[in-house]
Amino acid sequence: MEVPLSGLTISVPDLRQPVKLLAGLLVLGLLAGCGARQVVVEGNFPEPLMSPLPLNMGIWYNEEFANHEFFDEAKGRADSTWIVKTGAAQMQMWDTVLAGVFSNLEHMKNAPGSAEMNQIVDAVLIPKVEELQYAIPAHTNVKVYEIWMRYRFDMVTTQGEEIASWTMTSYGKTPTAFMQSDEAAVNLAAVVALRDAGANFATNFTRIPAVREWLEQRQSKLARAEATVVSEDVSEEDQAGTTIEQGAEQP
Amino acid sequence: MKQLLLRALLVFAGVLTVTGCVTSTVDEMVFNEPTEGIGDATVVILGRRHASDYETEPDFIQCVGKHINARDKSIEVMGELDFINALYPWFEPRTAPLRPEDIDRLMVQPPVAAKMAELKTEYMIWIDGSTVETNSAGSMTCGIGPGGAGCFGFGTWGNESNYEATIWDFTDRAEVGRVNTSTSGQSYMPAVVVPIPIIAPVQGTACDGIGDQLLEFLSSEY
Repeated sequence: MEVPLSGLTISVPDLRQPVKLLAGLLVLGLLAGCGARQVVVEGNFPEPLMSPLPLNMGIWYNEEFANHEFFDEAKGRADSTWIVKTGAAQMQMWDTVLAGVFSNLEHMKNAPGSAEMNQIVDAVLIPKVEELQYAIPAHTNVKVYEIWMRYRFDMVTTQGEEIASWTMTSYGKTPTAFMQSDEAAVNLAAVVALRDAGANFATNFTRIPAVREWLEQRQSKLARAEATVVSEDVSEEDQAGTTIEQGAEQP
Repeated sequence: MKQLLLRALLVFAGVLTVTGCVTSTVDEMVFNEPTEGIGDATVVILGRRHASDYETEPDFIQCVGKHINARDKSIEVMGELDFINALYPWFEPRTAPLRPEDIDRLMVQPPVAAKMAELKTEYMIWIDGSTVETNSAGSMTCGIGPGGAGCFGFGTWGNESNYEATIWDFTDRAEVGRVNTSTSGQSYMPAVVVPIPIIAPVQGTACDGIGDQLLEFLSSEY
């Protein structure tokens, strides 16, 4: 920018551009401060160390579960809006855990139902996240980040008939740590909660009354079927023996 | 000019090495006399995480493990997360054994028994406790201007650590002993243009105290 001054021309740097840039950055910074805090839960989940149940189990993740996210809108100016996306981590964890709990795990092509073409399995599990709650130190004044979840599990036949339905809770917490952001701490608490959910399922699945009853019925049905096959084999062998004996008696 | 800069640097380095005072008490209870050394077996140090209002910090567990390993290289301390992952889901806060007798319940399962034999775990050490801030006072004002930035004021805060380590002999399924450490200290931060932190290493002192006592159980050299 050039300013004529008493016949002289003084060159003054154009300050409008840097000021605009700074103002823009400031506005962006303020907007970023107002934006929602988003956590896409990520973690590694170990396979359970246990003897798998001899079941060919199907799993069906509905769209709501696969894309599960928790949204908490800011209640005041001091609060932040939180979005915690757990869907991908949920599927990763349950795939790992269930593959260790059951001898075979099948991902169903469709939702269980009489009109659906699906793989043949012993039963199908359908997990749902019924509720998710979180707490950060700003809410509780306790230097711990927490995540609590309530699941509902429906265990159905491939035709969609209910075998068992139960709820299960999981809890994860992590202490505040130096140089750790709220997002990283919430992610860690969610991973702990997911691990807890897997541990709860793996250690308590056979203790659920309806599941236990179904497993016992299945066991006795299998035992009966085995006994029938054995008795049929024995009678066939007896018949064959009699025929040989009869043949030997003939001159 | 060079001398002035050197002096300033020396003063700054001196300030950095100044730490707050820490008071530490370590108690020890021995139920079974430890055997000399642990041979080629391993030790695992785990944090208790089932209390609702606090959690044993993973970095404290790591610190104790490093302390033991640094003092006696022959002791192999297995990483907490590695151990918990290898035995998932049996050492999660919900499922972790609370008494030495509970280990038998776990060993009934063939995959768990096989994994434990593979890991050669001789001692299992459970650490329960946390470090908390007990008090804080003072105020500090910081400003920034075209000529520079600076702070003025004084801040002080106290920290307190309480940890208890319970040592289980994995082979005998028995509690060998307990080590308890209580540490407290006051940190200060005066600021005249530049804030000078005089931090009391409360958690670090607790880590050293508990680590030294544990070495008496685990090491043949102590």
